Amino acid sequence: VSPGGCVPALSPRCPPAPGAVPPCPPDPAVSPLSPQTRAARVRGGKGDKLVTYEQAHPPHHIGHRKGWLSLHTGNLCGEAGAAQRALEDAFLRRFLHGTFPGLLADEVVLKRRGNLLVICALLGRALPPAKLYFLLGYAETLLGHFYKCPVRLELQTVPGRVPYKCL
Amino acid sequence: NLMGARLAGSHGDTQEPKTNPLVSISDEPETLYKRLSILVKGHDKAVLDSYEYFAVLAAKELGISVEKVDKPPKTIERFTLLKSVHIYKKHRVQYEMRTHYLCLELKYLTGSTAAVYLEYVQRNLPEGVAMEVKKTKIEKIPEHIQKPVWDTLPQVEETEVKS
Repeated sequence: VSPGGCVPALSPRCPPAPGAVPPCPPDPAVSPLSPQTRAARVRGGKGDKLVTYEQAHPPHHIGHRKGWLSLHTGNLCGEAGAAQRALEDAFLRRFLHGTFPGLLADEVVLKRRGNLLVICALLGRALPPAKLYFLLGYAETLLGHFYKCPVRLELQTVPGRVPYKCL
Repeated sequence: NLMGARLAGSHGDTQEPKTNPLVSISDEPETLYKRLSILVKGHDKAVLDSYEYFAVLAAKELGISVEKVDKPPKTIERFTLLKSVHIYKKHRVQYEMRTHYLCLELKYLTGSTAAVYLEYVQRNLPEGVAMEVKKTKIEKIPEHIQKPVWDTLPQVEETEVKS
C-alpha cells in the first residue's frame, strides 16, 4: 500500500473546472510511517488474535489515547536517574511475570512517589486468595529488601482479559 | 432523652485546657518571604491542570494570596536513532520527551505558613511530577549599612597630593 493515497494530478496551467470535485485528501488510515515498523504494535492478522486496549494502540498514541505504564521523574527536563529507573522497571516486570505465572491480565503499572514504589497489577482468578496474599507479601518484602525502599503492591483480580479488538 | 446523656469528650472545668501537641509556639521572629515560586514539571498536561486546581484551592483555604499562575511553553527533547541493530543507515527512528511546566507564584508568606503549605502540597504531589521551589526572603538591612558611610565619617581636611 503506497503511503499518501492516490491523488489525481492537476496540471498547474489549467485551473480546476468550476463543477469539478476537489481531489480527495490522503487516506487517513494509511499513516506516513514506513509500513514495516514493528515496534510495540500487534500487526494485522486473520481476526483470531484478541488484544487488550493497551496492546491494540501503537506507541505514537501514548499521551493521546494511551497513558504511561511507568511514572517517574527521571525523563523530565533537568532531572536525573532515567537509566536507573528504566533498569528497575525492566527487572520489576520480569520479577512480577515470574511471581504470578500466567496470572497477569495486563501490563503492570509502576508508580514512584518519593521513595515509595507502588506496583499496580491486574490478575486473573486462577489462584485462591490465600495464595495470592502470600505472593503479595513475598513480593513486597523481597523487593523492599532488594531496592531498599518501601514497596506497595496493589492487586486487583478480574474474571479474564478484556479484549478490545480482534486483529 | 438528653438529660441523662453524657457527651464522651466533655469534662468539668477542673481539668487544664488541652494543648495540641502538634502546635509549637516559639519566641523566635518569623522569617518573612516576599515571594514563593513553585515550578511544577510533568509529562502529562491533564495531571498538571488538576494539580494546579488543587494547589490554588489549598492556597485559598489557607489564606495565601496567589500572585499569578503561569504556564510556560513545553520543552520537547527529541533524538534520532538508527532503527536497525546493524547497518541500514537510511532508516532511523525518532523519539521525543515532552515536559510541560506550571509556575505558581505566591506572595507575602511567613515561614511557618510556607512550611505548612509546601509540606501539604508536596505530600500530595502526583507520581511522575517534579517540583522546584524558590523562596525570596525579606530581611532587615544589617546595622552597619543602615546609615550612609559619608554621614558617619569624621570630616577629613583636604590635603593636596603632589604627584
